[in-house]
Order: sequence, then structure tokens, then C-alpha cells
Amino acid sequence: MARRHPRNINPEDLKLTKSKFKTVGRLWKELLSHRGLLFFVLFLVLLSTMLGILGPYLIGYAIDQFIYHQTLSGFVPLLTGLITVYFFYSFTSFLQNYSMIGIAQETVYSMRTRLFSHLQQLPVSFFDNRQHGEIMSRLTNDMDNVSSTLNSSVIQIFSSVLTLSGTIIFMVWLSPLLTMITLTIVPLLYIGMKWITKRTSKYFKEQQKHLGQLNGFIEETISSQKIIKSYSQEQFVLDEFFKKSNELKKAGFWAQSISGFIPKLMNMLNNLSFSLIVFLGGLLALNDSVTVGLIVTFTEYARQFTRPLHDLANQYNQLLSAVAGAERVYQILDEDKEEIDELKAERIEHLNGNVEFQNVSFSYGREENTIKNISFSVKTGQTVALVGPTGAGKSTIINLLMRLYEPHEGAIYIDGINIQKITRESLRSFYGFVLQEVFLFEDTIRENIRFGQLDASDEEVEAAAKKANAHSFIMKLPNGYDTKLTEDGAGISQGQKQLISIARAILRNPTILILDEATSNIDTVTEIQIQEALQCLMKNRTTFVIAHRLNTIQNADQILVIHDGEIIERGNHESLLKKNGIYSNMYKQKEGTNVV
Amino acid sequence: MPKKVISFIRPYIKLMIIAWMLMLIELAVELTAPILMAKIIDEGVLVHEIDVVIEWGIWLLIITLIAFVAGITNSFFAAFVSQNFGFDIRNNMYSKIQNLSFHRLVLYPTANLITRLTNDVTQIQHTTFIIMRIALRAPLLVLLGTIMAFLVNWKIALVFIFTIPVIIFFLFYMMKLGIKNFRSVQKRLDQVNRIIRENLKAMRIIKAFYRKESEVTRFIAANHQLKIQTMKTMRMIELNTPILLFIMNVSIVVILWYGNVQLQIGGAGAGEVVAIVNYATRITGSLSNLSWIIMAFARAKASNDRMNEILMMEEEKSGPQSVKQPIKGKIQFKDVYFSYDENHNKDWILKSINFTVEPGQKVAIMGSTGSGKTSLFQLIPKLFEPNSGQLLIDGKNIKVYNSIHLRNQIGYVPQEPHLFSGTIKENIAWGKQDATMDEIVEAAKDAQIHSSILQFPKQYDTVIGQKGVNLSGGQKQRLTIARALVRKPKILLLDDSTSALDMQTERELILALNKCKCTILIITQKISTAKQLDFILLLDDGEVIAQGTHEQLLKNSKLYQKIYTSQLGKEVFK
Repeated sequence: MARRHPRNINPEDLKLTKSKFKTVGRLWKELLSHRGLLFFVLFLVLLSTMLGILGPYLIGYAIDQFIYHQTLSGFVPLLTGLITVYFFYSFTSFLQNYSMIGIAQETVYSMRTRLFSHLQQLPVSFFDNRQHGEIMSRLTNDMDNVSSTLNSSVIQIFSSVLTLSGTIIFMVWLSPLLTMITLTIVPLLYIGMKWITKRTSKYFKEQQKHLGQLNGFIEETISSQKIIKSYSQEQFVLDEFFKKSNELKKAGFWAQSISGFIPKLMNMLNNLSFSLIVFLGGLLALNDSVTVGLIVTFTEYARQFTRPLHDLANQYNQLLSAVAGAERVYQILDEDKEEIDELKAERIEHLNGNVEFQNVSFSYGREENTIKNISFSVKTGQTVALVGPTGAGKSTIINLLMRLYEPHEGAIYIDGINIQKITRESLRSFYGFVLQEVFLFEDTIRENIRFGQLDASDEEVEAAAKKANAHSFIMKLPNGYDTKLTEDGAGISQGQKQLISIARAILRNPTILILDEATSNIDTVTEIQIQEALQCLMKNRTTFVIAHRLNTIQNADQILVIHDGEIIERGNHESLLKKNGIYSNMYKQKEGTNVV
Repeated sequence: MPKKVISFIRPYIKLMIIAWMLMLIELAVELTAPILMAKIIDEGVLVHEIDVVIEWGIWLLIITLIAFVAGITNSFFAAFVSQNFGFDIRNNMYSKIQNLSFHRLVLYPTANLITRLTNDVTQIQHTTFIIMRIALRAPLLVLLGTIMAFLVNWKIALVFIFTIPVIIFFLFYMMKLGIKNFRSVQKRLDQVNRIIRENLKAMRIIKAFYRKESEVTRFIAANHQLKIQTMKTMRMIELNTPILLFIMNVSIVVILWYGNVQLQIGGAGAGEVVAIVNYATRITGSLSNLSWIIMAFARAKASNDRMNEILMMEEEKSGPQSVKQPIKGKIQFKDVYFSYDENHNKDWILKSINFTVEPGQKVAIMGSTGSGKTSLFQLIPKLFEPNSGQLLIDGKNIKVYNSIHLRNQIGYVPQEPHLFSGTIKENIAWGKQDATMDEIVEAAKDAQIHSSILQFPKQYDTVIGQKGVNLSGGQKQRLTIARALVRKPKILLLDDSTSALDMQTERELILALNKCKCTILIITQKISTAKQLDFILLLDDGEVIAQGTHEQLLKNSKLYQKIYTSQLGKEVFK
């Protein structure tokens, strides 16, 4: 009765490895933090299993005593006893599930929360090296899988094992002979299951592969419908789709057919054991070595005995894939956090914004240094422009300044303090950012601006928006500042998003401003507004600009031309032009194209 | 004629019936087994007739085997039907999407369409499989089991009349509650996942602003909501089985008691009582299946509705007499009005557009975001149609042209450079499936990407990932331009497709395009690009506010002057 979706299970997850056992151990430890309740649940499982075994026994007894022999006394007490047994059976099974759901959900809740806050503390390199889709799938699908499995599996496994062993013990005690007959189906079950799973695992793998290919194709073509239509390539993609779809159908047919054998096999074995017990038991009853009541009891036990086997077989794949999911979740939890602030790191209340890089070198991997021996200094209120081709190391310098990464050699000082001696939190509170890629949350415009300074009042938010040239377009939106932004932007252009992010930076009132300016997708009118807003923002702040446009550069106090991780030229616009080096070359090339 | 999901099952009805028959055989066996058991007890064991026990015992084994064979065969039929049914729906839906007119298609978010083609089809396939195997079996077993019990001994079987309706009513009620609650679990789960997704995307900015604490607080609140709702729902659902079991078990006790009473007055045989107890346990088993069958149906219904929505849409049609002649490339807009909203024509995206482009002319289109540039472009390959006014190609209204034929003579490069997974060669040839290698190279040269391609180790056979991850923005843009050029179009539309190119490359590209014998419209933000072309259209708020050459606009248009000064001395520096 749990949620049974046709879930796509990755065949790789079904391999039984050593680390899976470790993961189970860790999950068990998580559950143990609710030790008391957990043992209560196990006790209830034991109780309900015993009651479940007792019920059919009493019915068999009742049939022998009161249906065949029609004994007169004691019938009503027995029936009352039966009802009591069944009542407590139902009651304990509900109570165990009720408690287990509590434990499972508390555990999942705590895992999710830990995972999320851990994610917040991971270094940026973690995110840079992985695809978002993959992390996302661990946090959602895998977590979800763990959640639904914990809800039911713990109880199911315990009660299956208990029922199985309890039933066998009781059966042997009642009649070893009939027990033997009942157990004849076990080898058949084993052989049958082996035959089936050997084939299904192959077919499932194939189905998964074709499904993946088809889904990839669908995703790609549906998102490029505009191109397909305007190039009239409908028939071409259709043919390709039919081909892939057909392959999936073939694989799906075999996977579904063969895996469909499992319940049929179970059914058959159920019926078979029933027939054998009735048939052979009937023969035995002729010479009175068993009673009719015992036969009835055994037919019921045979059912109780195959059900846990069925459940275990059913759960096995689900369980393995959930464990594989948990394993991936733990992998993230085991990732090292962003280095903890050095012991001597202090909170700083005030900075002026004199920045100095002293012989800083850094590399992302083991390859050669991304930036090499960089030294420069900036005074409060000055603007530094970083110029150079993509991959030269401009962003890396910014990453180091923000302490998203730490330099391997050399050090960075602000107002003479090594930034490693400042806590990350207080250090970053002096920075403001306007980045190339604007990120807005699915929230109101007001809250998106307030993100820059969480305790800002509505008036302060609006004042910042006015300075950022954003106020007038915001007021034109139907809900003004309360307009909710959606994932695809809600009718706000790229340039307008940029204005919101500038408002965010203005509200923050930073000492040091970092601009990654690239405005290729922004229309000219909005761009003029952005430039104005930026001028206002840059006033009296130390500003770092990753520059793409010459006018910002011309006004910069200092231009650093970066190539292959090194500063190859430095100076202001005029002095660099006089130098007749790389910078002046770049500038002249542009001049040539701009002659009116 | 649009077909609904359900109609795709028609070719498989015969096979479905066979699957059902096989299932009925299984069911019959299960229902006869208790009768045979009663026979063995009453006519064999109790009267010591060994022959009867052996005879019926063997029969019991034989029918068990028959049921197994029937079950296995059913599996093949059911899988065949459900896979083919799903296959047909999937193909039809996909071809429907391909043949929809673009303005209908854009109403559906991409993710939405993908779900329908993947998850919803799987769901319906799964449900079809269930229908042929157990969905009918469970209710039938309850019904026939009850009937059989009545045939065995109607007085004792009366107990079922009271209990089974109560249970079924109870189950339906709980299911309804359950589905409602699951929906709200899903909503809260979506909320949690949304925060995660947002945080992943914005990790850099969250770190930069040091917003760890506030984000964690936000997450915990959502996570807490999810926990509470999940617990509530799961606990409610877990109530079902214990209650159902209790009711059925009590009825077994009642059967025993009443059986005993009947035995004493000679109204029933001992074997009969045993058989009815056996039916009761079998019915209990089926009832607990019933609830998740209802659940599967509820989900399938939702999938079915979503898929029907797609299947029932009208396809794009070209009139029978549509014009298929080659075009020269003259474009005329005559008082064209356009709005994405078909009903309220107030929010005009384009207003009273008038201009003419002669074959072979090159035109720049400028204007701010939202001024209608891209919308104007999309009218030319008939992705959308004007609401009023006329758009003429070679002097004929665009409506009379056959869409496919017209589009084959247009090279449209949208703003977003979208590439397909495959090799560079395949991506360029995508614009013309039968292009020769020479044509591909020529297009690549004109698009100024040839020399970059030669620098890749595998050159034209370099595989590019989904959306071309290992190419730079400028390279992607040039590849999409090559893809358009290889078609040798009569009309070439470039929607801001040169924004990521450096000055030098862009100038050479424009020079190469100028040699093309086709009409070219270029949306651009850059004066440097615009002034190399024959004339410039300046759009603002859906209207053409100025047109002419660079020099004319410098004289006459205030907006153009403003743009010009803003770009003076600040070109892209790469």
C-alpha cells in the first residue's frame, strides 16, 4: 500500500558491494539516534508476528474442536480469544508503522538538513567540478528514494525474517511431516527466481540504456523546436525518434514480460504448496497422523510463509537502489568543508579598502599555475581594470580576493591585514558584486534586492532601486516591487535583471566593489542606464573590473593586462598607449574599426 | 482527425481479450481449489475413501500447473500490448508536437512536454500492464469468491454481505483522502527541491554575500513542512491494512461461530465451513491489493488527461493550393500588427510596421529589448502570423505559401545558439541533410569558423556535447550561422547572432555575407555592424521609428544618436 511507482532503477545500483554494507551500517546508526522508539518498534514487530502466527493456529484448533468434533464447551471463550488476538495484531501493526514513519521521517529530515547546510559550506571548487544536474539528483531523487524505503523497509525486513523463522519453528513443532511438504517449494522458488533475475537484469539494463537515449533525444529536440520548424526538419527528427522509440519498445517488451513472471511464479508456488498440503495431508489424515484442522492451519501458514519471501524478493531491488542512493548522499556529506577560518581569524568591523597582492600564485589542479606571482596594490577609492583574453586568470584573481579559493603562494592584504586572518563572513561583508550572470531567486523583486542587506527597510530597498535606475521599470510592472520572479524571468529582460543586481549591490554599500562586466546581450538603451548606475555605484569605492569595454578601462586608475596568468603590462590608459605594447595594439585594432 | 489516448488501444483489443482469458483461467483455478479441498475433506478424509483423496489431489496439482502456464503466457501478451500501446501513443504525440504550428507549441513549457512524452507514457504503459494482469483480478476475485461461498453454503456466506461493502466503501474513502494528501506532500517536496536547485545555481553569489545562515533557515522551514505532511499522510495510509485485516478476521471468527451453529442443526458440512474460511482469506488478500490499484488508476487518469491535451490539438495546415515556387527574396511589411495574444489585440508587440527589402539587400534591425525585433523575425518563416496587415514575399501574401517550402528557402539563426549532440559536420549539415563535404566547408568558411574547426584534433568530426558544451559562445554562434548558410537560403535572418564575436571576425563575417546572393536581415546592438549594411531599421516599442542609412539616421534620429554616443570608444575588447 506504499507508493509503488514504476521507478527507473539504474542497473549499476543493484551490484552488491562492500561499501553498500558500510552505508547500511551508517543508515542504521542514524536510526539509532531514535534508539528508544526503534526498539519499541522492533518489540511491536515481534509481538505482531507472534500474534500473526497464533491466529491461524487458533482457527485450525477451532475447526478441529468445534467443527469436526463439535465439542460444546469452550467455544465462545475461544472465539473471544481469537478476536482479541486479531485486534492486537491489527493494533500492533498499526502502531509499529506509525512509530517507524516518525523515525524514518525524522531521520530523512535531519539528513536533508545536514546535507543542505553542508552544501553551503563546501568550497566553490566542489561546484565547479561537478554538473549541477548530478548534485541535484543526489539531493532530490536519492534522498526521496531513501525516504520512501526507510518508511517501509525496516519493518518489512524485520517482520519478514521474524515471520519466516517463527512460522517455520511453529510448523515444525506442529508437524514435521507437513513442514517438509511445505518447504519443498523453497528450492523451486530459488531456481525460478534465479532463472528470472538472470534474464531481467540484462533486459533492464538494455531498457535503461534505450530509455536514456530516447529521453536525451526528446529533451534535445523539444527544446530546439524553433530551429526544427524554421528549417523544416520535422520529418528528419521524426524518423530518428521512431527508430529510437522502437528500440525502447523491443527492450521494454522483454524486460516487462520476464519480470512479469515473478508474481506468477509466486502464485504458482502458493497454489502448489496449497495443493500439496491438501493432497498429501489428506492422505496422512486417512490414517489419523494429522487432523483436518492442522491441514487448514498449514494452508494458511504456507501462505504466510511465501508472503515474506515474496516481499523480500520485491524489496530487494528497491532496497539496493535506495542504499546506492544513500551512498551517494554520504559521499557529499563526506566532502571536506571549505577550510574553517584560521583560529586567529578575527571579525573586522571596518575596512578602508587598500588592497595589496603580494607574489600570489595559484592553480586549480595539479597542472601549472593558473596565476603566477601576481603583485599589485590598489588604494581606497581607486578602480583597477583587469584586461586579457578568456582563461588568462582574471576571474581567478577575483576568486582569491573573495577567498573562494586560497592562494598557494604569497598573500593578499587589505589595509595591511592578511585576509586569511579575517573571518570569511566579515571579509565578504565588505564586498559588493555585479556579476556577468545575474542570479535572481524565485521571490519578489523587493526580496531579491534585499538579499544584499537582509535588515534593510522597504524604503532603503526602493532608494537603492532608484539609484540603480531600476525604480521606473519596476513601477511599470503590474505588482511593482511585489512582482514575483519566476524561473524564466517573468517578463523581465536580461538588462533589467542586471539593474536589479546593481540595486542589490548599492543596498549592500560595499567598501570593495567587484564588477564582471559583459553586456553583449543587453540592448543599447538599457545599457546606457546600467552604465549610469554603475558610475554611481563605483563612486568612492575600491573597484575591481573585469573589463570588456574600453570606456571603463580608459577611466581606470590602473590597468592590468593579464596573459597566461601573469601581469604583462600595467599602468593607466595613457601610459600604456605610450608604451606601444600589447595594450596599445588591442586599442588600435579597435580604433581601426571605429572610424566614422 | 485527432485521436484520444484510449483509441490507440483498438488494434490490440483482441490480444487484450486473450490476456484476460488467460487471467480468468488463473482465477478459476484459485476459486476451484477450496472446493476441491472441501471435497477431499468431506468425501475423502472423513469417510476414509483413499481413492477420492488421490483422484482430487491429482486434479488439484494439474489445475495448479494449468494456472501457471496461463499466467506465464499472460505475461507475454500483456507486455506486448502495453509496450505497443505506449509506443503508438509516444510516436503519435511526438509527431503531433512536430506538426503543431509554432504559436500553439510555445504555450507549453518545454519541461511540460518532455514529462508527457516520458513519464506519462511510462505511467500509462504500467497501468495497461496492471489492467491485464491484476487490476481486474482483484475485484473479480472478491466478487466470484463471494458467489462461490454462496454456492457452497449461502447461509454462512451471508457474513460477506455485511463486511465486504463496508470494506470497499472504507477503501475508496481512504484512497480519496490519500490522493489528496499525496498531492500536498508532492507540493512540499517540490518546494524543498526548488530551494535546493536555486541554491545550487546561485552558490557563488550566496557565498559572496555570505548568506549561508538565512538560506539554511529558509530550507529548514520548507523541510519541516515536508516532514510533517509526509508523516501525516503515510500514517493515515498505514491505517488501511490493519483495519481491513481486522474486519476480515472478525468475519472469519463469525463464520466459525455461525458454522458451528449450522453444523449442530445439520445445515452445513464441516468441509463447507472450511472452504468458506478459505474463501474469506483469499478475498482478504485481494482487498489489500485493491487500494493500490485504485491509486494506479488515479495516476493513470492524470497522465491520460495530460496526454490527451496534446493529442487533441490542431495540426498546422498548408492549404492545398499553397504556392511552392522558388522565391527571390523580396520582403514587404504593409501595416503589419502582431500580438502573441490571439484574443485581446490590445498589447501589440508590433504596430503598423511598414518597410520593403529588395532581393539581395542587407538590413540591420536595431532597438531595445522588447521593442519587437525577434517577433518581427518570427513572422518571416511563418512561425507566427500577423494579426492584421500584410506580409508579402515576392509580392505575394505569405499566407499563400506552403510553409515547408518557404522555410526551406530561409536561413533563420535564433538568438540562442542551439546545437545538437553529434559532430560539427552533422551540425552544419543539419541545415541540409544531403549537403556535400564541399558545401559544408564552404559554409564554414563563410561563417568564419573553418579555421577554428581545423584546430580541433578531429576537425569536422569533433563531437560536441549536448548544447555544445565544449565550444565558446562565439564558436557556437558561428556554427549556427554556418548551419543556415549551407542551405543557400534566399533570405537569411540573424538574430543578434554575432554578439560574442570579436570586431575582426565580425567584420570578415559581414564581408562574406555581403557576397551572398540573398536578402539578409540582421538584428544587432552594434553600430559598427549596422553601418556596414544597406540600411537600418530602428524599432522602439513595436514601431519603426526610423529607417535609413547610418548617416541619415545620425542626422535624423535622436535615439540613434544616443546609441551612437554610448558606443563611441567602447567596443568589445577581447
